[in-house]
Amino acid sequence: MMGNLSAKAASAADGRSVGSNRLGGFVNQAGIYGIAFLFIALGAVLQSFGVINNFMSAQNFLNIIDAVALLGIVTVGMAFVTYSGHYADMSVPTTMALAGIVSVEILKYGFVPAVAAALAVGLAIGAINAIVVGRLKANPIIWTLAMNYVTMGVIRFVWVNKQIYPDMKTDDALTLALFDNIFRFRFFDLIGLPVLVLVILMVAGQFLLMRTAYGAQLKLTGSARKAAKFSGINVERVVGIAFILAAFTATIGGLTVTSLSRVGAWYNGAGYDFKAVTAIVIGGMTLAGGRGSIIGVIGGAFVIGLMNNIMTLLGIGTFSQDMIRGAIFIAVVGINAKSLRSLGRDDA
Amino acid sequence: MRSDKKILAGNKRLAWVDKYRIFVLFALVFLFMSVFAPRFFNVFNLTSIMKTVAMNACVAIGFTIVMICGQLDLSIGTVITFAGVLGLSLKGSLGYAGSVPVAIAAGALVGLFNGLLVAKAKINSFIVTLGTMTILQGAIYTLTGGNTISLSTPDAFAVSDFLAKPLLPLVTPRILITVALVIGFELFLRRTQAGRNFYLVGGNKNTAWLAGIKTDGYTVIAFVLSGALAAVGGVFFAMESSAATLKMGDQSLMYVISATIIGGTAMSGGKGGVFRTVVAILTLEMLYTGIILFGLGNEVKIFIAGLILAAVVLYEAYAVYKHEKEVGKRPELVKELAVGKPGAADKPA
Repeated sequence: MMGNLSAKAASAADGRSVGSNRLGGFVNQAGIYGIAFLFIALGAVLQSFGVINNFMSAQNFLNIIDAVALLGIVTVGMAFVTYSGHYADMSVPTTMALAGIVSVEILKYGFVPAVAAALAVGLAIGAINAIVVGRLKANPIIWTLAMNYVTMGVIRFVWVNKQIYPDMKTDDALTLALFDNIFRFRFFDLIGLPVLVLVILMVAGQFLLMRTAYGAQLKLTGSARKAAKFSGINVERVVGIAFILAAFTATIGGLTVTSLSRVGAWYNGAGYDFKAVTAIVIGGMTLAGGRGSIIGVIGGAFVIGLMNNIMTLLGIGTFSQDMIRGAIFIAVVGINAKSLRSLGRDDA
Repeated sequence: MRSDKKILAGNKRLAWVDKYRIFVLFALVFLFMSVFAPRFFNVFNLTSIMKTVAMNACVAIGFTIVMICGQLDLSIGTVITFAGVLGLSLKGSLGYAGSVPVAIAAGALVGLFNGLLVAKAKINSFIVTLGTMTILQGAIYTLTGGNTISLSTPDAFAVSDFLAKPLLPLVTPRILITVALVIGFELFLRRTQAGRNFYLVGGNKNTAWLAGIKTDGYTVIAFVLSGALAAVGGVFFAMESSAATLKMGDQSLMYVISATIIGGTAMSGGKGGVFRTVVAILTLEMLYTGIILFGLGNEVKIFIAGLILAAVVLYEAYAVYKHEKEVGKRPELVKELAVGKPGAADKPA
């Protein structure tokens, strides 16, 4: 099963097809959904043999989709950073935490100011990353890691190591209900609001990446920064926007997580950096930059969600799941790197 | 001509500051804290600083070598914890004589895994070590079931007392081990051909390869050293406290990265040194201890630690940015930039 997954992911990943080969491109992009389908089939087989229960139920699939929505939202923005050839935005976890805790704090002034304040601080972090990595060309990993620590320090310093709760900050029932419903609202008691947000972000992201001038500039910047610069593209701006997009979706993810847990704390969002990068590489976006698609990346998040669900139903502990995810991550990246090398690109 | 000399002198002064900045910083922080921080300058406090530094200094040796090679090892924090947990949990069956080598070998093995994937599979080191970090985190929790491992047998306490008891003022056996490792690796990197080769690999991999250096081998060895030394730091720290918490290595990554960069090891590789990194770790630890002694809380310490790391990375990036702006331009333009007087270079001397 594992080898099958990696091989398929790699073939989806290397994106050999150019625009002229629409069908091939579609198959490559859709490959990850084939793997998702295989996982569903695996779950069904396991259930029919009685190894796991409750996999093939509407409720379980709703759970999976809810879990994927949260990860997917964060992943969409981070994918732009990866696509630009800057690997990952490691400041995402505390950007989520800061956006969440600020929104809870500002909740006393109402719901709209709370969301606005969260967006303001999130985008501020994105802007700082954009300037330092985009313009000053700092090492993206070390800088965003440093930014992660700074933001964590800010949260701990300002709130003196405390957690804050929405009902501590406001008595207004409507405000509290609105905040609670960021995660909990369901259309027709079925589709959650985060799922809708994810679909909107996915469509918008895919459009931005594939059908706009910015997407083309980002692709060239990610594949060959120097060539992009010499062809007159403002690479500083292009890369900067990618980091701002990552911070934007991290902010939305942070609001959602905080609404889910009903607490603002510095550890909200922990682990989302690695989960998002894993979804990105499994979804066929290469770390070398300039290859892959948003739809594929969401497929990656979906595969991770399915994998987690099946492993949990099999009774595999959370921490063993971490180990398996880590191993799959390295394997997929390794295969990507190999297939890229055979194409003559020596980095990944 | 005059402006030429001026620029040269200015650059030299800057280079001097850059070269010795960590020692200047060390002296400044030490003097400031000794004068102003209450209860800073006494044997007890200085020993406790040295003890805290002993672990991170050990870890930083390996991390610096990896960085000199132009790579990055994010897994050191989890290797520290993993080695500590392994060393203590195997003590029951193997005794320290068996469990400590096993823990260090496990660290080296993690390093070997990282190194082979980076050098042979050609995966970016940040990605590989991010993956190893996640795997190890899972392994640590699976191994311990999420609990702190602590030993309370008399012989474990005897070892712990031995490691913690000062032989001379400021020097406990554990500090001595670290000092020996620092001196050994500093001499190895500076004075031996093999040590110098790490700089060449980091400075320019292709040139090093063309000169006949086995670049892949050196990269792998750097990661093995990083894993083994992180394990040494972790396992001795755990032995001294007779306990391995699951968070014992969490803060180390940030401290060690900050210290390595402040110490002047270039993020792009090929430049730096072990001794400078360790001086930077001492400086940072004095600063953090001072913060606590001034009566400020742990959250202030974390806040300032983050700010320092960011400031240092920013400074490095800005220096490179400015340098790149000037490189490749016509020399007279460079002069104008440096002197700040457009047209000054037009007149022949």
